[in-house]
Parts: sequence; C-alpha cells; structure tokens
Amino acid sequence: MQVYEAPIRDMLFNINELHEDDGFGNLEGFEDFDEDVTVAILEEANKLCRDVLLPINWPGDQEGCRIENGVVRTPKGFQEAYKQFCEGGWAGLGVSQEWGGQGAPHSLGKMVEEMTCSANLSFGLYPGLTGGAMVALEAYGSDELKNFYMPKMASGEWSGTMCLTEPHCGTDLGMLRTKAEPQDDGSYLVTGNKIFISAGDHDLTDNIVHLVLARLPDAPPGVKGISLFLVPKYLPKDDGSLGNHNNAGPTAIEHKMGLKASATCQMSFEDSKGWLIGKPHRGLEAMFAMMNTERVAVGIQGLGVGEIAYQSAVYYAKDRLQGRSLSGVKNPDGPADPIIVHPDIRRMLMTMRAYNEGSRAVSAWVSRALDAEHASPEPEARERAKDFVALMTPVVKALFTDLGHESAHLAVQVYGGHGYIQETGVEQFARDARIAQIYEGTNGIQALDLVGRKLPDRMGKNLRSFFHPVSQFIEDHGSDEKIGKMIAGLQQAFGALQMSTGHIAQKGMKDPEEAAAAATDYLRLLGFVAMGYCFAKAAKIAHAKLEEGTQEKDFYEAKIITARYFFDRLLPPVMAQMMAITSGKSSMMDMPAEAF
Amino acid sequence: MAEATIKRVCVIGAGTMGAGIAAQIANAGVPVLLLDIAPKDGDNRNAIAEGAVKKMLKTDPAPFMGKRPAKLVETGNIEDDLGKVAECDWVVEAIIERLDIKQNLYAKLEEVRKDGTAVSSNTSTIPLEQLTDGRSDSFKRDFLITHFFNPPRYMRLIELVAGPKTNPDTLEMVREFVDRKLGKTPVDAEDSPGFIANRIGTFWIQQAVNSAFDMGMTVEEVDEIGGKPMGVPKTGIFGLIDLIGIDLMPHLMKSLTSTLPKDDWYQKIARSEPLIEEMIESGYTGRKGKGGFYTMEKGEDGKRTKMAKDLKSGEYRAAARPGLVYGSAAKGDLGKLISMKGKVGEYAWSVLGPTLSYAASIVPEATATVVGVDDAMKLGYNWKTGPFEMIDNIGAAKLVERLEADDLPVPEILKMAGDRSFYRIEDGKRQYLGTDGEYHDIERAEGVLLLEDIKLSSKPIMANGSAALWDIGDGVVALEFTGKMNALDEQVMKLIQKAIPVVKKDYKAFVVYNEGSNFSAGANLGLAMFALNIAAWSEVEKSIKGGQDAYKALKYAPFPVVSAPAGMALGGGCEICLNSDAIQSHAETYIGLVECGVGIIPGWGGCGEFISRWKDNKRHPAGPMPAVSKAFETISTATVAKSAAEAKELGFLRSDDGITMNRDRLLYDAKQRALAMVDGYTAPEKLEYRLPGPSGKAALELAVDSFHKQGKATAHDVTVAGELAYVLTGGDTDITEIVTEAEMLKLERDAFMRLIRNPKTQARIEHMLETGKPLRN
Repeated sequence: MQVYEAPIRDMLFNINELHEDDGFGNLEGFEDFDEDVTVAILEEANKLCRDVLLPINWPGDQEGCRIENGVVRTPKGFQEAYKQFCEGGWAGLGVSQEWGGQGAPHSLGKMVEEMTCSANLSFGLYPGLTGGAMVALEAYGSDELKNFYMPKMASGEWSGTMCLTEPHCGTDLGMLRTKAEPQDDGSYLVTGNKIFISAGDHDLTDNIVHLVLARLPDAPPGVKGISLFLVPKYLPKDDGSLGNHNNAGPTAIEHKMGLKASATCQMSFEDSKGWLIGKPHRGLEAMFAMMNTERVAVGIQGLGVGEIAYQSAVYYAKDRLQGRSLSGVKNPDGPADPIIVHPDIRRMLMTMRAYNEGSRAVSAWVSRALDAEHASPEPEARERAKDFVALMTPVVKALFTDLGHESAHLAVQVYGGHGYIQETGVEQFARDARIAQIYEGTNGIQALDLVGRKLPDRMGKNLRSFFHPVSQFIEDHGSDEKIGKMIAGLQQAFGALQMSTGHIAQKGMKDPEEAAAAATDYLRLLGFVAMGYCFAKAAKIAHAKLEEGTQEKDFYEAKIITARYFFDRLLPPVMAQMMAITSGKSSMMDMPAEAF
Repeated sequence: MAEATIKRVCVIGAGTMGAGIAAQIANAGVPVLLLDIAPKDGDNRNAIAEGAVKKMLKTDPAPFMGKRPAKLVETGNIEDDLGKVAECDWVVEAIIERLDIKQNLYAKLEEVRKDGTAVSSNTSTIPLEQLTDGRSDSFKRDFLITHFFNPPRYMRLIELVAGPKTNPDTLEMVREFVDRKLGKTPVDAEDSPGFIANRIGTFWIQQAVNSAFDMGMTVEEVDEIGGKPMGVPKTGIFGLIDLIGIDLMPHLMKSLTSTLPKDDWYQKIARSEPLIEEMIESGYTGRKGKGGFYTMEKGEDGKRTKMAKDLKSGEYRAAARPGLVYGSAAKGDLGKLISMKGKVGEYAWSVLGPTLSYAASIVPEATATVVGVDDAMKLGYNWKTGPFEMIDNIGAAKLVERLEADDLPVPEILKMAGDRSFYRIEDGKRQYLGTDGEYHDIERAEGVLLLEDIKLSSKPIMANGSAALWDIGDGVVALEFTGKMNALDEQVMKLIQKAIPVVKKDYKAFVVYNEGSNFSAGANLGLAMFALNIAAWSEVEKSIKGGQDAYKALKYAPFPVVSAPAGMALGGGCEICLNSDAIQSHAETYIGLVECGVGIIPGWGGCGEFISRWKDNKRHPAGPMPAVSKAFETISTATVAKSAAEAKELGFLRSDDGITMNRDRLLYDAKQRALAMVDGYTAPEKLEYRLPGPSGKAALELAVDSFHKQGKATAHDVTVAGELAYVLTGGDTDITEIVTEAEMLKLERDAFMRLIRNPKTQARIEHMLETGKPLRN
C-alpha cells in the first residue's frame, strides 16, 4: 500500500528552526515567502502530491511509457496531472520572477521537490529536467535565447532535457562525437545520437527544448572541445507558435528496471537546428552549472523515495497482525499484535525515519547555502555558502540516494512476502530508487569528486565551511546536560572524520589511487557526521522547546528519540568506515586482474 | 693557498660593472678604492665615483649587503688619486671597452703600482695579448683578465684568463680572493674572443632570435619553449634580452664578428633585424628603456597589462599564453623535445642543435674542459643545465646522428665521445670526459664540501619524507631538509628527535644545512592550512609543541649545533638557527621571523630566543624593556635581513657568527666551526627571563595604536601585534619575577593557537598560499 502525507511539520522545523544560526545571515530577496506563505505552499503541494500524483504512481509503473510512430506516450493520467501541475504554478516555483516564475528560495523549493519525488518519482522527472535546463540557459544563454525560451519553460508550456550521454560515452564525456556545424545565420546544425535521455520525448508539452553537448568542427579533442547547444523539438516561429519538426526526436525508449513512467529515450539529431549556449568549447562549464543543481535534486529523489517507503512501512506495521509482543500482549482484542511491537520491525522503521529526518536536515542546510550563495548580504557568507555547496553536493547526491535505496528495501522487508509481490506497490520504491544511485554521475563518481576535487581544493578550504561549525558546536555543547552524550558520540565521529580526511589528503597526494580507494567510505562518513551534527542541534532545540513549554510536545519528543536512535545505532559504524579508509588500498588493488 | 693575500683593492671605472665589483669587494670586508675620471667641470673632482656609490645605495637588488660595506669604499679620481694604487694589492680595470684608452691607463699604472700588485681587466671583448702590448715584462707577469658578470654581487661566474707570461702565483692570489672573499666560482678560460659564456650565449641568443623571425614565432612562444622545457632561465630568450638590454646585442655582435675568425660559425648567423634596430633607435631598449619585447601598459582603469611585441607588425599587443603542447617532453627530456613534430620540436631543435654543436666546438679552444663550459653557462647565464649536460640528456651519439642528418657541423669532441656520456659517476665520484678521451674526477678546491658529492658515495644515516641526516665526515652530521621547498613539518621534528641519541652516541657535532636555493621558508603552510580547515586544533597545537620540543632538544643536546643557512631562512627556518649554538651563514642569506605577515607569531621558540639575542648584545642597553622592544619591532613588522651582514645588524646573527662568501664553502666552514666547539662542549644553560609584563605590553601597544591611527597598521595587525606583545613581555609577569623558558614557550603556544583560530589569520594564510603575497586585512 503506497501511503503518503507530506511531513510538513518536519519540513517547517528544518526551514524555520534548525538552521537559524548557520551564519549565512538574513537572505535578501525572499521577503514574499514569509511563514504563512511557506505553510500555504507546502500544504498546497501536499494536496497535489497526495491527491493527484500519488494515485497515478503505481498505475503509471504498471503501464509504463511507449513509443508509437516516433512519438512517446506517457501513462494514463499523466497529461491531466501535468496540466494541474502547471496551472498551480509549480513548474516555475523556483524560477526567477523575471521569467514569470515565483522566485521561491531553494530552502522551500527543495521541500516541494521532495514531495513530488515521494508521490511520483517518474512524474517528477519531467518538470525536473526542465528546471535543470533552465539553470544552464539562465546562466549561460544569450538574452535573445533567454527571453524567448525561459518564460515558456517557467510556465511548463515547454519542457527541457539535457542530452549528454552517447552510446559509447557516459562518464567519460571527452569521447563525445555529436557534431555541430556553424551556419551563416549564426545557428548550428547538430547531428548525432544520444542515449539515456530522460524526458527526451513525451506527450505532456507541445515542444521540448533539448540542451545538447556537441563538438564544433575546430574543437580540440577531449572535454575541452565540447560546446552546448539549444535544440528545440519543433522550430518555433517568431511569435512562439510551432513551426517545422527539427529532426530531433526519439528512435526508441529504454526498457528499465524501474522509473517506468519516465520516458528514457534514444535520441537522434540530424541536421537539427540549434543555437550555442555560452562560449564555444566551454559547454561543460554550462552543463556543470545545471549538473550541480541536478545532483542535489537527485539526492532529494533518494530522500523522497525514502520518505514514502517509511510511511508505507509504518502503515503496514500498524496494520499487519502477527505474533505477540515479547513484553506482553499489546492487542488483546485481536488475534495477534501489530508487528510494530517487534524490536526488529522497530529497528527498520527507526532506521528509515532517522535516515529521512537526517537527510532532510542536511538537505535543508545545503538548500540554505544554495540560497545564501546569491542572496546573503555578506560577501564572506556568500563565499562560505559556495564552498559548502561545493563540498556537500556529491554527499547529498550519493548518500541520500544510497539511504533512499536502503529504506526502500527495508520497507519491502517490513512487508515481508507482501512486499515482494507487486500489488502492494512497495517493491516499486526499490526499483525506482535504484536509478538515482546511477544517473547524474554514479555514486562512485560522486565519491571521487569529493575526495579528488572538493577535499584537496585550496588546501581543504571547502572543508572549512563544514568542519568549523561542527567543531565549534562540539566545543560549545560538550558539557550540555541534555545533549552531552550525543556530543560525545558526535565528537568521536568527527574525530574519525578529521583523521580520515588527514589520511586521504596525505596519502592521496602521493597516490591518487589511495584517495579513490577510500572515496565511498569517506563520503558516507562525512555524510553521517553531517547528519549527526544536525540531529544534535535538533535535539538541543527540541529540549529547549520542551523546557519552555510547547503545544507540540509530541513532535519535539519524537525528534529527540529519533536523534537518540541515530546516535546509538546509526552513527557508531562510522568508526568502522575510518578503519576501512585507513587500511589503504592494497587489499583492494593487489589482486591481479586475471585472478578475477 | 697562495702566500700573498689581497688586503686592499683599487677598482678603476665606476660604471655599472666597476662600481658593482667594488661593492662586492667591500661586501667581503675589504677596503676598496673606486676611481673614475675627474669630470670636466664642477668643483667635486670625485663626483663620478661618488655618484656611482650613491646610486648603488638606492639600487634594487642592492649591490651592497648592508650599511657598513658602503663605508669601505673610498672614492677618488684617476688624475689625483692614481698614486694610491701603490697601497693596493690588486687593481681591477673596468673602464670603457676601448683598447687605446685601456693601454693608456695601463701605461700610467705601470708607473704607480708596486711590483706584485695584480692588475686585471674586466674586458669582455679585447684579447689579453693586445691589452698588454707595450708593457714591461713585470707588468705582464702581474696581469690577467677577470671577467665578472652583471650584477657582480649576484652572478657567481668569473672567467679568469691568464697570458703566457702571467705569474702563476699572481693568478692563484686573485683566484683565491675571488673564490673565498668574493664568493665567485672562477672558471679558467683561454684568451679567445668572448671567452666562454658570452661566446656561447651570444651565439645562442642570435640563433634563437633568427629562428623566431624565420619561423614566424611569437615572443611568448619562443620564451615558453626556451623556458622550462629547455631549461634556460625562466625569463626565456626575449625576456632575457629585455633584461640585459636590447642595445647590447649589436655591441656583442660587433665585437665578436670583428674578433672571431672569418670561418667561425657565428659569422654566418650574425645578422640584425630591422625591427630590433628600430626599437633601439627609438629608445625601446628593454627594461631599462621605454620597453622591450615585453612592456607593461597601464590601462584607463589603472590595471597593468603585460604587452608583447608582435615580431611581424612591430606593434605591441596583449601578451598571451601560447598554449603549446609539450606532452611528455615537458619534463625535461630534451631528446623528446627536439624530435617532436610541429613548431615546438622544430623550434627547439633549430636553437639547440646549432647551439650545442657550437658549444661543443669551443673545447678546448676556449676552455680546457667540458666542466668549464657547463659551469660558465650555468653560473654566467643561469642555464639550468650546461651544454654538455644537455648533450648527455639527448645522448651524444643521437645528437651526432641528427646533426649529420641536418648537415650541421659535428665537433671533434662529440665524435670522440661516441656513445659515451660526458659525465658519469664512478666509485661515488663524479667524472667528466676529457679531451684526451679519458674520464677524470671532478676535483673540488680545498675547503669546498658539498652534500651533492657526499650523496654520490653514501646513504643517509636516517631519512624520512621531509628530512635526512648525513655523515659528513670527522664525526659531524648534517641535517638536510628534503621536503618540497624545504618546508618544515612534523617529519622534520621527528627526525631531529630521532637523530639526537644517535649523534650523542656515535658522532661529535651537528650541522643544519642543505643545498636548496633556499635554506627553508618555514613551516609547511599548506599543511597547516589543511589542518586548520578541518578544525584539527589539537593537531595544530601538537605540531607547535613538537617543533618547540625538537628545537629545544637540539639546543640542549650534549654536542655543538651549527646552522648554516643560505638563501631564505624564514619563520621556522630562522628559528632553528636561533636555537643553534652558532650560525655559519652564507653571505646571501635572507633571514627573518615573518610569521606576523600571515597573522601568527613565531611558535617554535623564536620569541624567547630572539629576546635573548638582544639581551646578550653588549652594545644594546640593558634592562628588561630595550631587548623586548627591539624584538617586538623586528618581529611585528616581519622584517627580513637582505644579507648576512644585515642579519647581524638586525640581531638574527650574533656578532661572532660566521659568514661564508662562497656558497660551495659553506658546509666546510660550518663543519669546522662545529668541530672547533667540540672540545669541552657543554650545552647552554636554560634561558630565564625578567620581563616587563602588562606595563611593557601597554607601551608596545601604544606604538601599534598610533600606527593604526595613521593607517599604517590594519585592525588585524593590531590584534597580532597585541598577542606578540603579550608573549614578548612575559604575559602576566613583572620584573621581579623570573619567567622560565618553559613558561615562555607556553605563552608562545597559547598565543599562536588563539591567532590561528582567528578567521582573519586564516584568510592571511590562505591568501599567502594562493598568491604568494601577504594579505593586509
């Protein structure tokens, strides 16, 4: 049974309470989004997700997308849902008002994104890709292109894609082959094949704006010779109405493990007219502008799936009667107790809950930084925010999707045999969540990005934005009566993180393979320390609220218990991660390739 | 060593070279008489020589090593003061390059000089034989050519040319003096045109310029290829021409074409470019003129842009990185470089092929050995490796093959070498291939000791990633820093601690020395930055404590410790010197406690040691405050001595610390110094201080406040100076109390930790790492 109600109270806690003292200052330009507006937006989004998107989630998975006469058809109900989505203004929630969007801060927008990812991950991809394309276009496109395309994308009338991958090159974009020939009128003719293009074609919008990586004739080899082009499915006329088909369309759709209602297309471009975005040969820069926000967005997908998996598991754990509680009968009127009484079920539910709350707290922190990068009045705070985003982007992407995947599987486990069969809809979470660990840079690549780029950059400058607040917090609260025990745990984990960081910096400088061998463990270690910090802070706030008296005793008490669970059960394994990291690469690399 | 010694010198000709030579002689502590002609008008007949000295006091880089040397230069004029030559042991002639004028001067000198007084010319173009034409045999016996390079203080090469009649004792006397006193490396040259360095150098520059024009290269391309990949100075060729003066090129060309035989290869390549002639005519003579191949242009926004001359149009345009691709040839494999396809390889070969062939062809005509050629180019033209070392890099046989294929001349010596290299290591000794076809040991002069040589025949006693300990003979060990840029870190401190019991047991004395271009610019800031970025405060404190402990353990070890710095000795590099029993410093040592520049204070015992340096200074007033004030003034402004002589004035060196002029003799001198202390050595007493405490601190802060109000000190300067003042005045003490050394170290450590946690200090360190310049925040 897929069950979902947006965790609005926890979202508000993260937006309004948890990160108040993050040092980014009072952000400018979001005055319209006061507490009332925020609550209203979250509630409206909840309605849309719960009542419109969730009901078509499982059916969409069963039906899937199909390609007919060169056109992709989405499952039943998607067109109508997309219409409502656009009418509600959700397509432009985070887009600047200049383009007809609403200009909401990331700290709010990411919460709404989480909801759509919970309710219907496949659906969320269509507007999600448009959002990514808008980021690149807004940052690097010419005024002419922006004025023409941005408003139509912000309203959701037209959607967007990003076309990177080719049959022979995914992670290694340097091998890219798609060509772009300059034309006399300043446009280009783009020719080539792309694969794995999410939302590459569909029937939700009239037109699709593809952002395509291709090479100019004089391009140097490798990644320094890639340019970015805007290639519409239909060539629009000057008045915005649609003209001829641009020979940019799908040749097939992929048959996938999950995410079946999202069209993953093989695309063909044949002398398709396009326009350069940004400078020649500098396409990767523009692509990374969108990729970075997309990576955070994919992390949120993991969280979204984790949340609905948790809620669906809770529903079942309370509903399903099996066996009796070891501490005595809890449901004397029934034939058995609900399985939620069993410690091992509790273990799974608490784990999912703590993953979700921890991830949401970290994501709210990163979202604050995404906002502060541009909207903080202090230059130093802007720089710190930028460093923090750079550091945490791979962590959010990889850790959240790993945890989302774990949660989906835990949900299946809670359901037992009923989780493994399709009718309950729970196994869909596990299949859907899987892709988020792979696309937008595999989680292995994220970990490499963390240890290879983000960590050594400017002698560890990015780290400061995270390590200093954590270190300060530990120093300030070490003797706190209420959370002292959590601080001790945090301190130990933080020490393990510091030691691992030093180890990687030292070994990795001499031998990059050492850093790479430690990468995945290190990413998880850092992410768990970040969650631990957020939980300790949350517990501190909750204790204070309880002390001063609050109407929401249950919420704050639950927060403290979740935090305690995290410190008791989930944080200690980071010590093992440190041991794995400091063990070095040898047992991983010594085996001759032939021996595998 | 020759018996006769030089106690007083006369330099005639107060141009750039003459004046610079006089300054270097004064730097050696030897009185010098500087003469030039008396001006035609004006009352002051010494105006020219005096003017030259005055100008030198303002020149940067400074010809003088301090204030005192300038006082050793006595000025005069040739007409009135030539008689004073009788009191001199050596006369250096550095007047205009005209044979008749020189001969005329020598005739006069012959009358006034005493027999046995050496006379040498700094000529770069006139053969010795012509110079002494018409002079007495006695004059000829005492005459030689001493060819210095510009600027005489900093360039280590001196070419010595003796005539057939030159008395070997005179030659030795001058050789000893220029080696030991002036710190130069003498290379014997034959009396052939251009001697060694200028002969090859002029050919090389000409060939490089010719090819640049012929192949349509840009100046940036030429300088990039000529820089790192080829290993000639980082200025590149056009950058070098700008530096030495574009107008010098036709002079060099004229003198060489008129003196070299008609069939010399240089005659064929010598040519002038209309563009260069035009530049000289219109005053674009390089850095000293209106501009050169490069110039800095100030835009409307006040920003300075580097401009480069377009060799085709003759116009300036913004300089650009050429973006040439070197592949694996970038790492100094010359064979790969010259065989690369495309303009990089073609240009490199077009310069290197002829230049190396030409350089090889002048042995033994211009100098007896390949070593002389290599030393001359490395020390006189700042080439990273000499021509024969480059030939070894390519392979003599391979080079011959390529030269033959291109129809270029193949000198005898290359044919003789065959597939042998010009240098080899045999039984732990470096050998060169002689013109006799045999290998010979490279002999070092007496009193020269190099770690480079020791390394050929031995392994370190102990070593880690940042330091090594070497047995340098006679029971003395040398601690070498080996990390990147000789930066100091935990590893260095660990090795010191590990070395002490070993030295105590098996050796007698300890020298701190290395052969890097800088002794050490201090602690590894990058590492510190990383530690503080990850908030590893306890690690940072541990590394401070570790450094204090190691330096103090060395100081109180039961054997003498002598530090032998050369080049930069900053921060922790300075502090190890301060913690030594004695310092034997190279003359070109730039020592200082520069921590405040990056927002911290000396943390490895520098504060206490520096106070005690001033306390022990008998010429400085006694009492707790004067020494503290002096230390505060020097440390808070991050003052760096610009020479060993100035380091004495600033108190980094004690008055009895030694100064070695010749870099190659530094280790030997330091070792002797250490050995001299072995008998009856006892470790120094632990330091104790009587310090002024808070009242003294207030006085120091008053001065800083006024600087702050005048805008000379920033807010963070005030913070840093406040911490420094707190440490130097002994914290919460007063003059009735004794502050122990351990307490001083604790004060230093605590203040250091407070500062390192300050975001403004972090910003300073970061800025230094990113830009190499201090941040004034």
